[in-house]
Amino acid sequence: MTLVLEAAVLGVLTGGVYALMASGLTLIFGVMRIINVGHGALVVLGAYLSFAASRSLGLDPFATLVITMPVMFMLGVLLQTVFIRPLKTDREALSVLVTYAIALGIEGLLGYFFTANYVQLHAWYDTASFPVGDFRVTYVYLFGFVLCLAILGAMFLFLYRTTFGASIRATMLNRTAAQLIGIDVDRVAAVAFGIGMATAAAGGVVFGITNAFNPGSHYDLISRLLTIIVLGGLGSLRGAVIAALIMLVSEDITSVVISPVWASFTFFVILVAVLIVRPQGLYGVRVRERL
Amino acid sequence: MRRRLISAGVAALGLTLAACGGSTTPTAPAAPITIGVSISQSGDFSGDGAALKQGYDLWADDINAKGGLQGHKVTMKYVDDASSTQQVVTNYQNLITVDKVALVFGPFSSLLTIPASTVVDRYGYAFPEPAGGGPQVFTRGLKSVFFVQPAAVEDNLVSYTKWLLSLPSGQRPASVAYATQDDPFTQPQVDKAKSLLEAAGVTTAYYHVYPAETTDFTPIALQVANSKADAVILGTQLPDAVAFAKTFIQQHYNPKTIIETTGPDQGSQFSDKLGANTEGIMVPAGWTPAATAYGNDKFVSEFIAKYGGKAADISADSAEAYSVGQVVDQAAAKAGSIDNTKLIATLHTGTYNTVQGPMSFDATGKPQGGVGVYIEQWQGGNAIFVYPSSVASAQPEYPKKNWQ
Amino acid sequence: MSALLRQARVLKLGGIIAVFAVALALPAISPDPATTNIAVFTMMYVGLATAWNIMGGYTGYISLGHAGFFGFGSYTLGLLLAHLGIAAGYTPFLLVPIAGLGTAVLAVAIGWFALRTRAATFVIVTIAFMFMLQLLAENLVGLTGGGGGLSFPVPPWGGDYFNTPYYYAMLALATLALAVSWRIRRSKFGLGLLAIRDDEDKALAVGVPTRAFKLTAFVVSAALVGMIGAVYGYYVTYIYPQFVVDPLIGISMVLMVFLGGLGTLSGPVLGALILEPTQLWLAYNFGATRLYLVLYAAVFLGVILLLPRGIVPSVMELIERRRARAGPSGSTPAKVAAR
Repeated sequence: MTLVLEAAVLGVLTGGVYALMASGLTLIFGVMRIINVGHGALVVLGAYLSFAASRSLGLDPFATLVITMPVMFMLGVLLQTVFIRPLKTDREALSVLVTYAIALGIEGLLGYFFTANYVQLHAWYDTASFPVGDFRVTYVYLFGFVLCLAILGAMFLFLYRTTFGASIRATMLNRTAAQLIGIDVDRVAAVAFGIGMATAAAGGVVFGITNAFNPGSHYDLISRLLTIIVLGGLGSLRGAVIAALIMLVSEDITSVVISPVWASFTFFVILVAVLIVRPQGLYGVRVRERL
Repeated sequence: MRRRLISAGVAALGLTLAACGGSTTPTAPAAPITIGVSISQSGDFSGDGAALKQGYDLWADDINAKGGLQGHKVTMKYVDDASSTQQVVTNYQNLITVDKVALVFGPFSSLLTIPASTVVDRYGYAFPEPAGGGPQVFTRGLKSVFFVQPAAVEDNLVSYTKWLLSLPSGQRPASVAYATQDDPFTQPQVDKAKSLLEAAGVTTAYYHVYPAETTDFTPIALQVANSKADAVILGTQLPDAVAFAKTFIQQHYNPKTIIETTGPDQGSQFSDKLGANTEGIMVPAGWTPAATAYGNDKFVSEFIAKYGGKAADISADSAEAYSVGQVVDQAAAKAGSIDNTKLIATLHTGTYNTVQGPMSFDATGKPQGGVGVYIEQWQGGNAIFVYPSSVASAQPEYPKKNWQ
Repeated sequence: MSALLRQARVLKLGGIIAVFAVALALPAISPDPATTNIAVFTMMYVGLATAWNIMGGYTGYISLGHAGFFGFGSYTLGLLLAHLGIAAGYTPFLLVPIAGLGTAVLAVAIGWFALRTRAATFVIVTIAFMFMLQLLAENLVGLTGGGGGLSFPVPPWGGDYFNTPYYYAMLALATLALAVSWRIRRSKFGLGLLAIRDDEDKALAVGVPTRAFKLTAFVVSAALVGMIGAVYGYYVTYIYPQFVVDPLIGISMVLMVFLGGLGTLSGPVLGALILEPTQLWLAYNFGATRLYLVLYAAVFLGVILLLPRGIVPSVMELIERRRARAGPSGSTPAKVAAR
């Protein structure tokens, strides 16, 4: 029983990280109607930037975010302007290919600069833990969780309490209408992509401190992130957060109760089960989607 | 194409007949040759691919320094297989039929070695390979594959179980927790260790197989910790080897002994993630920088001279690749030729000395006899041989000290 | 005008026959194994892209999970051979249709679920199904051999001609896929599929049985991919869950279709003929520089940004413009062909 509880706690803590990464992905989808299959690579890029910064400047991994988040934001604006904006026809399908190419490019460059050896972010407290009842909770997971909550909170505040946030939400609801009322949707899209990448940087730090990673690690990440945002409902931030928690908690519990072999499978079974009942996902709006 | 190769082999034979033996200085230089290898520069196996390349390159430098392979100057040609079956199959066909390389060496992992081996066999080439030891490598009826490691994969943990059972009964672990990746490299060895230990009356506290693509190992590690077993045997690669250890540290779980199939043998790639907490972790290893095996001190010093770092940083992958070259060198000397047909016939007989110790091959290419795999343990920041005592440079540290 | 059209048709037919003749004679023209090996993989992708296009191109439903069917077909044949104890040789080729049938049955089940969703959701659901198949291949150890992989029997053929039978098997399947694709394009069923792509709700409103049509296209497409996967497994002689249910294979076929022209008959063929040899060549020659991936990504991005609609539609448009300048009529057939 303790073990199940322990797995549930762990699921919530790691779920927070996935929630952050997935909300960036779903935001990008919502604003641009593109599936960013390169999001996993962006997370890994963020992890590597933090790795480089903490190594060369001797910073704490979490502190490197002060540098990496703005850098990744700028990079996001650049990538969106150069590669995503020119896509006019077949956006959804072509964007898959374009972002996939971006992922490959990032993987190649990271391999060139950092080699393909596994690395891991390191902090002096990364193996410290404290007891809670019968089990121990690790500080790093807790810090990561708190950080993700804080950034998610900031993102929600930005989206719901600022004018620019309102334009982003308007664009997510209806791009054409937003354009008609005078919103510069291209600018909104660029900023949204930048925010998506900045959150990927934050997710990357937590990912990189709890996992050993190399440039090829993005393949494992992206399939889970995509599953999460579909479960939550494409373009729904709330959905992404809740879906991430559901997924990770049920995965970790399956791993403990049934077998680790079926843990990842549960992930996809939940998705299929939910889609049978609600094809639009948990919080998705049933829109007349067209390609 | 093959005809030309054979004639090159015959020419080499003629040249070296006069001065047979391994360390000959040929009277006249023979034609330079190229040796082709497909390695993974991207994808899942790219880390190991880089280490293999270092080992092969170092051997090529050595062999050229002493006058070449049977007088032939050696150039290595590397092509990338991106860790994909399709590309590895393409690469070996191209190396053999387009680049017309004289010899081919193996890629990383059983998963790529198996499809590559059928291609190489088809062209009558010998296929000495450093990293494909899964059971299926040897069950396909190929006569040209030679796995250049001290023991077939499934026997990797045998000496560890021997050591455990040799402990006085009061100290011997009463229970063991096992967890392994579902991988042709890791699972067979863990399963064999489990059956040996169970037969000797050691209880199994936990046993689980997890998929190779698992990314979050924490839940599994938690269960291992929760089993409170005295000993932990893990079938890992590098990322999970680190993840398990970290979770154990976080959970303050201190088993008396831990062994991981791969990871702790990867030098600095392992230690830079765990720091002082590598202390006491074991790994089955055919090779260690400190071993006194054939040419090992030379290998280690040259490796450091060429690539920098320190002895503890050298990956076993590099030593295994280097061994492939050593085996081929000796076989060529023995056959007096670099002709593949002769090499294949020669490699099936006799014993070959490598930095991993002496080895010989049976009809399927499985390493035979030999001393088998040793146990290496991290002590004071270095991985050193601790068992069997014939090769040990220190006593095994048992029980393992608590995490720091 | 009609004389011109007839002339164009004769030219086209002649061209097709010429290309097919070259394809048939290729192992005789260039028998070295390096070429025939690339030819096997290229022909494989011609078939895969054409088959994918039947679903993705005609109905507009983008499946990124076809690698699941590819792997399933491969495993079906491999397990058949292992359990029936069939020796290597030509017999395994005769069992390929059974692998196709098995894949079709699976595709009915998956399609029934997946086709409840549309657009981006459909894309991701197909990815999820692909990973489920990969995990099943990995986890059902008793059946599939799990992470140990599955060996096929190895034919005793010598290296010099080893690839030829596989080449012809791939050619036969690619031809089958093309024939099916061509037949569908000219049928009422095909028109229905195009209507679904343009506007599914309207198509339903005018009486197109959209669900049945989509499912049929999905199953046909999957069965062809499954058969090709079966031949692939027999060719590489060893399969492993992550290497055969490989997302890269799935995305490669999609890229080829987009490069050549989505929804056209010749586009996927052209895309495969250009991209697959380029990819194998790039990896072989620049792989060791580590920048191969970057180079490949750059080519990839260039193609999509410069030719977002694909080669065939872009060329057609060019011809159409020329023709429009030459005379006022004649633009309609080109437009239809470019769809």
